[in-house]
Amino acid sequence: MTGPEVEMDGGLYASRQKIYPREIAGRFQSKRTIAVWVLLGIYYLLPWFRWNGRQAVLFDLPARKFHLFALTLWPQDFYFLTWLLVIAALSLFFFTALAGRLFCGYACPQTVWTETFIWMERLVEGSRSQQMKLARAPWTAQKALRKGAKQLLWIAFALWTGFTFVGYFTPITELAGKITHFSTGPWETFWVLFYGGATYVNAAFMREQVCKYMCPYARFQSAMFDKDTLIITYDDRRGEPRGARKKGADPKAKGLGDCVDCTLCVQVCPTGIDIRKGLQYECIACAACIDACDEVMDKVGYPRGLIRYDTQHGLEGRKKHVVRPRTVVYATLLAALAVGLVVSITHRNVVGVDVIRDRNALFRERPDGSIENVYNVKILNKDSAAHEFRITGSGLEGLVVDYAGATVWVGPGEVQGVPVRIRIPEDALEGGADIQLAIQATDRPDLQASGKARFIAPSD
Amino acid sequence: MFRTHPDEYPARLRWPRLGQDAAIVIWPSFLVASVATMVCFAFIDPLLVGNDDYPPPAFASRMTGYAVGFFFFWLVASLSSLLSLYLVRTAHPEPPGTDEPKAEERVRSPQ
Repeated sequence: MTGPEVEMDGGLYASRQKIYPREIAGRFQSKRTIAVWVLLGIYYLLPWFRWNGRQAVLFDLPARKFHLFALTLWPQDFYFLTWLLVIAALSLFFFTALAGRLFCGYACPQTVWTETFIWMERLVEGSRSQQMKLARAPWTAQKALRKGAKQLLWIAFALWTGFTFVGYFTPITELAGKITHFSTGPWETFWVLFYGGATYVNAAFMREQVCKYMCPYARFQSAMFDKDTLIITYDDRRGEPRGARKKGADPKAKGLGDCVDCTLCVQVCPTGIDIRKGLQYECIACAACIDACDEVMDKVGYPRGLIRYDTQHGLEGRKKHVVRPRTVVYATLLAALAVGLVVSITHRNVVGVDVIRDRNALFRERPDGSIENVYNVKILNKDSAAHEFRITGSGLEGLVVDYAGATVWVGPGEVQGVPVRIRIPEDALEGGADIQLAIQATDRPDLQASGKARFIAPSD
Repeated sequence: MFRTHPDEYPARLRWPRLGQDAAIVIWPSFLVASVATMVCFAFIDPLLVGNDDYPPPAFASRMTGYAVGFFFFWLVASLSSLLSLYLVRTAHPEPPGTDEPKAEERVRSPQ
């Protein structure tokens, strides 16, 4: 048996040897290619979509607003994001329990970008054997040209990735304009290079090392596994003892199993493992070995599936269970959280108020003897329509609320700060007391919110 | 569940120790710093940060505030990762046999 052929990689981790996965076509690789196109398509195109005259998906950090199509989220809505992350984590657990490392093989950004970079490498340097030959060859103009072209392609793609990433946080059409004029701001430039650089290092050089050494999910996924979880597995009862044979020879007569020991399953593996040694945590479940083995089985005329998706129970010839306590619990929790999220987003209070005391003076005694405190009242309108608000106060005897105009107009998705003077009669209070300030939309009385503030009076 | 320990892998497929160590320090602290930055700035507006010596805003812009916060968290988390790694790497070796997977955790025998 030969191991995966490897070459010295002169890159960042000098003594690590680069894996050249052999290219392979097949039904699972077609599915993975579709996944790459769909996911990268979403990533690169989504920031260009428009919604009501603005970018449809924009995490506007400078303005502290997140736009998601019709929805605008504010820092106060932070718990929705936490909620979403919990749902994402639970989905990962659920799908892992059902079908193993589906995420790793088909959807993980590390896999998706690595596939793309490997694809570009093949475009320039050719097949696996051509790549290895080129790596061994002495440096000639031809080699420099090919290596240079590959790097150029990689760097351009990584920069585009970084640009798109920043495009989620700053309007992408403006950003594109600034880039063509070389007038991007310092932070925009920095983050484009940072994210582009991270993509380049991860997808061009580190590749499977990220899964092996840096990914926590690879380590704890076994906690979600049970004997009914789909894994990629080699049927050693059918395959062993492995060995080469002449075409048409009867393996049983030679005492051989179905594995012809062609080592293609090892050559196509992007993490360089031998699936025939059993389940290993380096396996990212990309199913390349299944496609490779099926192809060989077709050629030699044996049934497919010597390497296949199966469960431990399936391998042992026992009954398989999709519905089991683990999957039922995950599914129930997931459904409850998803419904809860939708309900709470649709029922959230779309107005808010923030009362900030004026820093300059504790209080002011007016000529008529009344005591005045000044506040800055910030009215938050998260609704998609503009509203006029009335401000009222309570909590102290004879309290008067005074601000410019009868109502305050706040545009959709905007915050409006209003200087508000609160007066109470002389001797109504000594020291301090809490008061309530409330806002209410004049056209929609159900849109209301209130905030607490401290009123301070002389204590003599 | 998994039979093969990374140290049993062919040496040519293993990262050098320094590369592993760098990844173990930098990567988890990056993840933690990202989460910490999100939580921190969901509650704190950088333009309202300041004190008597640097009255608000202490940062030139929100983006500067976010970036300073992120790199601060990354640095702090890196130091923590580094210390943890140091303690793990310098610990007495486990008594032999403690790391062996239990029989029922084995998927199939390697043969």
